[in-house]
Amino acid sequence: MVRALSARGLDDWRALAGTRFFPRLMEAGKVVRTEEASANGQLTGVLRGEAAGMLRHERIPFVSYPYEWPFSMLKDAALLQLELVAAALEEGMILKDSSPYNVQLRGARPVFVDVGSFEALREGEPWVGYRQFCMLFLYPLMLQAHQGIDFHPLLRGSIDGIAPAQAAAMLRGLRGGVLKHVKLHAKLERRYDDSSQKAVRKELKDAGFSSELIKANVKGLTKLVSGLRWEPAGSEWSTYRDICTYTDEESREKADFVRAAAATRRRALAWDLGANDGRYARIAAEHADTTVAVDVDHLTVDRLYRTLREEGREDVLALVMNLADPSPGLGWRGRERRRLEERGRPELVLALALVHHLAIGANVPLTEVVDWLGSLGASLVVEFPTREDPMVQRLLAGKREGTHDDYTLQTFERLLGEAFEVERRQELQGGVRVIFLAHPRGG
Amino acid sequence: MIFGYLDPGSGSVILQAIVGGFAAIAVTGKLWWRRVTGIFRRKDDEETPAPGKASEESA
Repeated sequence: MVRALSARGLDDWRALAGTRFFPRLMEAGKVVRTEEASANGQLTGVLRGEAAGMLRHERIPFVSYPYEWPFSMLKDAALLQLELVAAALEEGMILKDSSPYNVQLRGARPVFVDVGSFEALREGEPWVGYRQFCMLFLYPLMLQAHQGIDFHPLLRGSIDGIAPAQAAAMLRGLRGGVLKHVKLHAKLERRYDDSSQKAVRKELKDAGFSSELIKANVKGLTKLVSGLRWEPAGSEWSTYRDICTYTDEESREKADFVRAAAATRRRALAWDLGANDGRYARIAAEHADTTVAVDVDHLTVDRLYRTLREEGREDVLALVMNLADPSPGLGWRGRERRRLEERGRPELVLALALVHHLAIGANVPLTEVVDWLGSLGASLVVEFPTREDPMVQRLLAGKREGTHDDYTLQTFERLLGEAFEVERRQELQGGVRVIFLAHPRGG
Repeated sequence: MIFGYLDPGSGSVILQAIVGGFAAIAVTGKLWWRRVTGIFRRKDDEETPAPGKASEESA
């Protein structure tokens, strides 16, 4: 990854590299590893005019967005953001924005990636990124923690986040920080909507506003965010593994099958679609540099992330996503945030206990499901639960008779054989589920 | 491709004088006093409204 710099950008970078805090944070892995590269004119045209300099960044293996992160991940990213602001303030600098899109994850470790955010703070100036911090970090976290409102659709629906007035309308009560950062914020925003930005800032400066106030605010926010917990009712580590229809024997068979498929060669990127508690993602990760574990269940993914974080894993990234409605391109021309499929080609895809949820649960035609899996262009480990499977029967029970008559092993095998070269096939649970290893044709 | 433009928001800026703990009391008091004595209002009117362009470069 390279970044072209204008003359001003180059000055800013050199000032930043000369601070005490920046090299320390970079060493600790909290800021993306960055070095100055010689400008060789390759990037002319990227900036208007010539590039004065160039920075080389370490590559983040898989880009993800806050509307895909579990609660604890967004919380950790928020705390990282605040830590950076606090560290910068100690040396007369600040971050000019506060966007979670400037944080990426190396597995379970948040990394700040936008070194261009740091700038000198002029004394008397406010923290410009405060409002953005509220809209994209604090309010989503508060809504999840206090009201149990999932922040994913809100952040996916609005690239700028949740406005103070919106948050004030949704957050009931006056729990820690709600009065100040939400209710009062919304009120002041309404009140001073027409005020000239310049006049307000001058007035603030004249009244003696100093970086001490920003420090106090950042400190307060750090305490506030640290205290936010999301623990929905019945949140013991219940879930799937306990209620699932597998016996130990079958899970072992499945694990062995996945391990054999993953072990054929080292891969750069593997995806586990419908990862649940991450058991199979971990197996894939034994033979992949990076494994992205995706599941629709927020709580399950949050737990997986916390476990991975405790283990200090940097190779497994746990994301929340409904695969029947995966992340689209967003922002200007749909290009500011990229679709899931545009963020790196997996070489191995696990789709275990997924097909029936898409085909029956989400009514995606089976041909479409297989076509989509084929479009990923990766080797595939896919499990097909037949109509005899208890989970399939549960899903079918809610449907009108005859709605999913094409959901048969025969149909699935035919479709799979058309799109892929099937290498292995194994029956699990006495044939109630069948697992396949398949490779893209011509691949 | 990401476009950066950040509006710090007038209300958000004023709030920062309030939420800054002890250090904020004097500043808030001063802001309030100036408002009461009308200085704030007059200055506000004199200024031509400028868009709060804080982040000029794309982030």
